[in-house]
Amino acid sequence: MRKKTFAAAVLLAATAGLALSACGSGSDSTAPVTAVSQESDSGKAATVLDQPFAKPDLVLTDTHGKKYDLRKETQGHPTLLYFGYTHCPDICPTTMSNIAVAKKALPKAEQDDLRVVFVTTDPGRDTSTELGKWLKGIDPQFIGLTGDFATIQAGARSVGISVEPTTKDKNGKLVSVHGTQVMAFSPKTNGGYVLYGENATVDDYTKDLPKLVKGANP
Amino acid sequence: MNRPVTRRSALVSTAAALAGVLALAGCSDSGSGSGSGSSKPELSVSGSYMPQPVSADMAAGFLTITNKGGAKEELTSVTSEAAGQVTMHSTTGGTMREQTSFAIPAHGQLVFKSGGNHLMFERLKRQPKQGQTVTVKLTFATSGPLTVEMPVKSATYNPSTGH
Repeated sequence: MRKKTFAAAVLLAATAGLALSACGSGSDSTAPVTAVSQESDSGKAATVLDQPFAKPDLVLTDTHGKKYDLRKETQGHPTLLYFGYTHCPDICPTTMSNIAVAKKALPKAEQDDLRVVFVTTDPGRDTSTELGKWLKGIDPQFIGLTGDFATIQAGARSVGISVEPTTKDKNGKLVSVHGTQVMAFSPKTNGGYVLYGENATVDDYTKDLPKLVKGANP
Repeated sequence: MNRPVTRRSALVSTAAALAGVLALAGCSDSGSGSGSGSSKPELSVSGSYMPQPVSADMAAGFLTITNKGGAKEELTSVTSEAAGQVTMHSTTGGTMREQTSFAIPAHGQLVFKSGGNHLMFERLKRQPKQGQTVTVKLTFATSGPLTVEMPVKSATYNPSTGH
């Protein structure tokens, strides 16, 4: 029984692999190249960076329409930073929901100490109100930021994350891009020292958050 | 819900799907006379689910379409009475692109999975909740349409861990 299951799984995996490689064959030229995006295949969700990133110097608008200085507001707090957009059915809500569920396993004081910051890459559609409505459906403590796209793109780039504006192709179909990485910043050094790819599960975050809120390596 | 049971039932359903395909191949024998190497596409759907969305504005859907037949097929549209619109998207290197059709190779699969190709449901009549199902109709270039009862899973559901 066990052997048969295994064989079936291998077969499935092999087929899936073929399907994937077939789909992926056209992506080589369009894949954004970032220095940090290749690490997520190692099997472990978290990548501890040898060289931490400084927190992006971003001053944007929060979901209450107020000015939000990322460095000032999150200084000394464990912080998770993600660049995404709300008109995104797949990775963006999954990533935020994974963090929201994992966060609930922390003691209350640590939940309140943690800053989870979602920066939109689609500020044209994601107004303060829209962002607020969307994040409230995930976790009302999450912080949503919007503002000028060029500012947001530069902020993302400063931590090695590539984001592009939503555009229309020649057939008028929308083409959207989002960063898939979540960066964790230490409450001790304020440096971005751990990176998660889109494959990080709720279990990965649940296991790692207790360490991240203390600035320890997962 | 313990794992072994889930796994066994998955095996059983795979076997059932296989049997279904064999039965289909049997039926088509009179036409093509080629058995499992049928010159027609033979489609089955597995692993469908929708993560519970944040709101009724938008949801994702995932599934795998397997073609055991000897001819290629094309998924040309996806509709659901639960949504104002369902569109198909590919993801390559973090770029989402709406597609008007997807190929399903002969003896191959079309996979919609998180982080890859996905179905996008917009303007849902109500926010789908975990435990419900959403009826989805798949339309193909040559084969007849297939109807899938897509289960709504938790917002953090991961098919590889099963929770």
